[in-house]
Amino acid sequence: MSDANEQIDKLMQELRRGTITIGVLSQLSEPQYGYSLVSLLGDNGVDVEPGTLYPLLRRLEKQGLLDSKWDTNEARPRKYYLLSSTGKEVYDQLCVEWRSIVSSLNHLIDEKGGKENGDD
Amino acid sequence: MEMIERYIFAVTQGLLQSQREDIAEELRGLIEDMLDERTQGRKATDKDVEEVLMELGNPKLLAQKYRGSKKYLIGPEIFDSYIMVLKIVLISVVSTISVGFIIQIILDPISILDHFIEYIVSFVTVIPTAFGWTTFGFVLGEYFGGVKAKDLQFDKEWSPSDLAPIPDEKRQIKRYEPIVGITFYTLLMVILAFSNEYFGVWVFHDEFSGVVPFLNEETYGSYLFFIILIFGFGIIKECLKLIYGKWTFRLVIYTVIVNLISLVTVVIMINGPEFWNPNFMLELTQAGLLSEGSEAYGTVSKIWEQSTFWIFILLVIGLIWDAIDGFIKIRKSK
Repeated sequence: MSDANEQIDKLMQELRRGTITIGVLSQLSEPQYGYSLVSLLGDNGVDVEPGTLYPLLRRLEKQGLLDSKWDTNEARPRKYYLLSSTGKEVYDQLCVEWRSIVSSLNHLIDEKGGKENGDD
Repeated sequence: MEMIERYIFAVTQGLLQSQREDIAEELRGLIEDMLDERTQGRKATDKDVEEVLMELGNPKLLAQKYRGSKKYLIGPEIFDSYIMVLKIVLISVVSTISVGFIIQIILDPISILDHFIEYIVSFVTVIPTAFGWTTFGFVLGEYFGGVKAKDLQFDKEWSPSDLAPIPDEKRQIKRYEPIVGITFYTLLMVILAFSNEYFGVWVFHDEFSGVVPFLNEETYGSYLFFIILIFGFGIIKECLKLIYGKWTFRLVIYTVIVNLISLVTVVIMINGPEFWNPNFMLELTQAGLLSEGSEAYGTVSKIWEQSTFWIFILLVIGLIWDAIDGFIKIRKSK
């Protein structure tokens, strides 16, 4: 059984990796700094470790999907991230793609549930 | 709080110089935010810090995430060293070729055009070769080093107490020091190994008319090995300084050992039979620089006879100073 769990872990990790990006983009129409984003995502049931999120934010910035700005007015300097115009465009398109994936997969899963006599 | 700085240093060390400061600043903010959440207003203890760092995980892994999984021929982890070594190699090569060129035009100013063409040709052929081999070496390093990076992922056992201290400014060896050293040794080695006949007193009568060499040209070949060995050790010593990057007790011990070996080699060499040019004084007279019996002849002759002894003394002083200097630098930082 532990073998199956291990496989599930691995697959879930892969699945999550792709979806986190969409999750991050979805929250950045308002500027956020890294740790506020961790809690924001966590509150909505998307748990992401800071050690994963921080490098991801930097990568998205480098790809031009996010803009960033240091806020040094507060006691603690923080780097705020915000969707760039490309980022907005990409995010909108990703939402369309995501919905289409969800509906296709739902269709596949439900259909399989209908005829349980597969050779699996 | 020292622990936090150590952690940040460990992460950013594996990143490109240009990103380091920004990432360090952001990480510091993150760790403080995480601490605040954990402590809820009370003062953070060392244990809190440790737990937060444990949550962030192995700094090498975090650095790896920052770097992304791009395929590199030479990755950011060793890129800075690559650029540095490349500079050393290119500076050494260019200065060696240039000194050779200058010597040639002094000796034979008439065919300056030929020498110039040769010079340009050396530039075009030697520099790409040096560049290529250095790069190749680092690509190999990256390739075999890459295996190590993969092992790291299974290295789940990590604890904040493993963090190495941040190097002390005072103990740090300035990077240009070993670079200048290596360049200097390379240059001397090449000159002594391949154009020892020019190592001596240069005689000019209106124009260049020959060299009275210091060394015995007939036995020179058998000493070549020693000469390369001595400078080779010098270069090894400078490389050790580069690798350590700071003065540590171990580095000083290594320097002392290398110095001792070079000293012994030099002593064997200069005391060996017929190392120096046996006809030096005679040739000087023949070249018309000195006349036998004059006061100047006596002085030069004395200097020449005692040179072995004084070279030895100077060398001992220099090498001992090298070691003392290292110890002082360790001391100062404590």
